[in-house]
Amino acid sequence: MRSNQPLLRMEQIDKSYPGVHALDHVDFNLYEGEVHVLLGENGAGKSTLVKILSGSVPRDSGRIFMHGEEIGDLNPERAQELGIGMVYQELSLVPSLSAAENIFLGQLPKKRLGIVDWQAINNGAKESLEALGVDIDPQAEIRGLNVAEQQLTEIARILTKEPKILLLDEPTSALSDNDRERLFEIIRLLRERGVGIVYISHRLVEVPLVGQRVTVLRDGKVVGTLPVNEANEEKLAQMMVGRDLTEQYPKQYIELGEAILRIENLSLDDVLHDINFELHRGEILGIFGLMGAGQMELARAIFGLEPLSTANIYIEGQEVAIRNPAEAIRYGLGLLTRDRREGIVPMLPIPPNVTLAKLSQFAPYRFLNLGDEIEVTNKYVRDLRIQTPSLDRRVIFLSGGNQQKVVLARWLCSGAKIMIFDEPTRGIDVGAKAEVFGLMNDLTKKGVGIVMISSEMPEILAMADRILVMRGGQFTAEYKEGEATQEDLLRNAS
Amino acid sequence: MEDEVPQRAQSETDLSLPMEESAVATRARRGSQTIRGLALRGGPLIALILLSAYLSVGSPYFLRISNLVNVTRQSAITAILAVGQTLVILSAGIDLSVGAMAAISASVAAVLMTQRVEIAGLAFGPVDFWLGFLIAIAVGTLAGMINGFIITRGRIPDFIATLGTLEIYRGIGLLVTGGLPVPSHLTATELKGYLPEPMIWMGSGSFLGFPVAGLIALLVVVVGWFILRYTALGRAFFAVGGNREAARVSGISIDRTKFTVYTICGLMCGLGGFVLAGRLNSANALMANGQELNSIAAVVIGGTNLFGGEGGVLGSLIGALIMGVLGNGLNLLNVSAFWQRIIQGTVIIMVVVFDQWRRRRFTT
Repeated sequence: MRSNQPLLRMEQIDKSYPGVHALDHVDFNLYEGEVHVLLGENGAGKSTLVKILSGSVPRDSGRIFMHGEEIGDLNPERAQELGIGMVYQELSLVPSLSAAENIFLGQLPKKRLGIVDWQAINNGAKESLEALGVDIDPQAEIRGLNVAEQQLTEIARILTKEPKILLLDEPTSALSDNDRERLFEIIRLLRERGVGIVYISHRLVEVPLVGQRVTVLRDGKVVGTLPVNEANEEKLAQMMVGRDLTEQYPKQYIELGEAILRIENLSLDDVLHDINFELHRGEILGIFGLMGAGQMELARAIFGLEPLSTANIYIEGQEVAIRNPAEAIRYGLGLLTRDRREGIVPMLPIPPNVTLAKLSQFAPYRFLNLGDEIEVTNKYVRDLRIQTPSLDRRVIFLSGGNQQKVVLARWLCSGAKIMIFDEPTRGIDVGAKAEVFGLMNDLTKKGVGIVMISSEMPEILAMADRILVMRGGQFTAEYKEGEATQEDLLRNAS
Repeated sequence: MEDEVPQRAQSETDLSLPMEESAVATRARRGSQTIRGLALRGGPLIALILLSAYLSVGSPYFLRISNLVNVTRQSAITAILAVGQTLVILSAGIDLSVGAMAAISASVAAVLMTQRVEIAGLAFGPVDFWLGFLIAIAVGTLAGMINGFIITRGRIPDFIATLGTLEIYRGIGLLVTGGLPVPSHLTATELKGYLPEPMIWMGSGSFLGFPVAGLIALLVVVVGWFILRYTALGRAFFAVGGNREAARVSGISIDRTKFTVYTICGLMCGLGGFVLAGRLNSANALMANGQELNSIAAVVIGGTNLFGGEGGVLGSLIGALIMGVLGNGLNLLNVSAFWQRIIQGTVIIMVVVFDQWRRRRFTT
C-alpha cells in the first residue's frame, strides 16, 4: 500500500496566538493507507495542526505538499477540493435538520430546475449510514440523537465526500466501547482503500489499536515520530509529559483544618443521587469521573445554579440554604466554570471582570469607587501574575491562562473560602497549568478548601489530598492521596 | 476542550480577535493613543461634525440660532428615548414599545389634565401640572415593568414581548383618548381644556436662551451615564449583556436586572412622551410613531453594540443629534420627504458599516 512519495507532507508549520506559540516549526507527513496518530496533552497543538490542514485556521508560515506538489493557502473549500475531510471534535452539525440533510449539507443532490431530490438524499444517507453499520434513521432530527449517534452521522457526512485524507479529532471521546470498535473497523476499511488518516488522541491505549505511526507533540513542538511497534505506553507518556512530575504538579502538603463544607443527601432529579462529602480547610478534594458522570451538575447544584431536589449543606457547621449564586457567594463559595467562556465578560476590561462577583452582593443603587477598583485589581494582577499590557485590556484579548486567572481573581476578590474548580486546566497550555496548580497551593495555604473536578487522571492523582470517583451521579470510591492508580480511577468510573 | 486556541466567538464583535502584537507595534500603538482614542470612540462625533460642516456651507439657515434651537428640540425627544433604549440594548435586550409607551403616558396624562373623568364612580380631574407629570412618569414606568415582567416570567424573546406590548399600549391609548387628539375640540371648550403652561414650556420653552427640552435630554443623558459608570446596577447591565452566563455565575440575577432595565426604559419614555406632548401642545395615542426605530438607530449609530455588552449613552446622544441634524438639513436643502427617508436609511447603514470597519481596524 505504501508508496515512497508521502500523500501529505507538512514542513516547518508555525502558528502563534496571543500569548501562545501553538505550533513551533512542526514537520509532519502521512502516507496512503496509513493511520498516523497525533498524541499530546491538552494544549500541545494537535487540534491546531489539523485545523490548519482542514483550512479552518490559517498558518503563519510553513509549506504543505500533497503528492509532492506544493499547495498554497488553504481554506475550508480548497481543503475539500483537495480531498481533505475533517471530523471536528466539537460537532459541526445543524441540530434542527435531519441526519440526511446534515450528511448532504452544502451539496444537496438536485433534480432539474434546482429542486432538491429528497429521495436521493434519504436513500444516499441511508446507504452511507448502513455502510458505517449504524442504525440511525436518516430522517431523525440531529438534536434528538445522542452524542455518539451525532458523531457517527458526522463521520458519515465526511465519508460521502470520499476524502483522500481524513482528519479525526478525538473521535472516540463520546463513543461507547461498542461504537469505538465499529469506528476502528471503519478506519481499517478506509485504509484498505488507500485513505490516509490523521488520528488525534490523548488516550495512549488507543495508539496500537489503530495506528501505524505515532507523532508526539508537546508545547507546540514535535517530540518525536515512531512506528507503533516501537512505542510502548510508558515511553509515549514520558514523551507527552516531558518534565518532572514535581515541576508540573507542584503539590505542597499542609495541615488540614476543620470541615468547612459538608454536603448531605444531595440529589438532583435523575442526575445526582445521594451525594455526601466533607471538605476541610486547606484540602484539595478531587472528584474524578468520565464525561457526563454528573460532576458538572454537582458543582452547579452546590453553587445554586440548579434547583436541588434535596440537600443539606453545612458551611463551617451551620446549615445553609443556597438557592442562587448570589447566596453561594455570600457564604464564601466560588466556582471556576468548566467553559471559560462562561466565566469572563469578554468585552469588559480587567477591573470590572475582577470585581463582578463582589459587586453582585451590593444593592443595585450602590455607588462604585472606581479608584479602589483599580487598586484592588492591580493587586490581583501582581499576585496572580496576570500578563497584560494594561488594566484596560478587554479580557477577550488575554490568553486562555490569563483569562482563567482573571476569573480566579474574581473569586479571591469576593472572599471565597470554598472554591470549586471545574476542569481548571481545560484548554490552557502546560506552563499555565503549572501556574494554576501553584495558585491552588497558595489558596490552600490560606485555609481555602478546594473541590477539584477533573477528568485528567495525572493531575488529579498528583494534586488531590483525597479523590472521590463518580459514576452515574453517585460516588463509587474514595481514595486518600497516593492510594489510587489510574487503573483504580478508571475501573470505578466506568 | 483541546488546544488552547482562543475560540473565535460567533458574535461579530470579535472579528478582530487573533492578532498577535509585536513589541514594535505596541510602542507604535502607545504613541498614537490619542489618535486611536478619537478614532475608536469619536467616530459618531466626527460624523456629526462633518455633517454639520456640510450643512452650514450648504444652507445659510442651518447655523441660525432659531434653527439650532429647533434641531435641539427635535433631537431631544429621540435622545431621551434613546437613553432608555441604550440601557436595554446594552443588557442584550431590545424595546420596540418605546414610542407606544411615550404616547400612552402622554395621552393618559393629557386626558387627566384636560378632562373630568369618572373612574369607578369617583369623579377626578382635571389635575394640575405636577400630578399630570407624575401620572405620565408612573404610566411609563408601569408599562416598562409590564414589559420586564412578560420577558422574565414569560421567558419569551424581548423582541416579541415588546412587539406585542407595542400594539397593546397603542390600543389602550386609543381607548383612553377615544382616538382623538387631546385636548380635542370637544373638550377644549369645557373646563380649562388646555394643556398646562409648564408642560408646554418643557416642550417648547427656553431657559436662559437654551431649549428646555434639550436641557431635560442632557439631564437624562447625564443620569444614564452616571448609572452606567458609577453604580452596581450599571455594571450588571454590561455584564448581563456581555455574557449572561458569566453574570449569572457571578451572582447577578438576570431576571431582576432585565426587569429593572425595562422599568427604567419605561420611565424615560414617560418623560419623553410628556415633553413631546408639551412641544406639540397636544397628545394622541399614535404620537411618537416610529420612535422605536429612531431610538434604536440613534443607539446603534452611537456605537453601542446591538448584541449588548458594550457602548454607552453619550454615543446615543450623538446618534440622536445626527438623526435630528440630518432631518433638519434635508428640509433646509429642500429635499422631498420621500427622498429624505431613503437618505436617512442610507445614512444609518453607512454610519454602522463605517463603525464596524473602524472597530476592526483600531481595536487591539
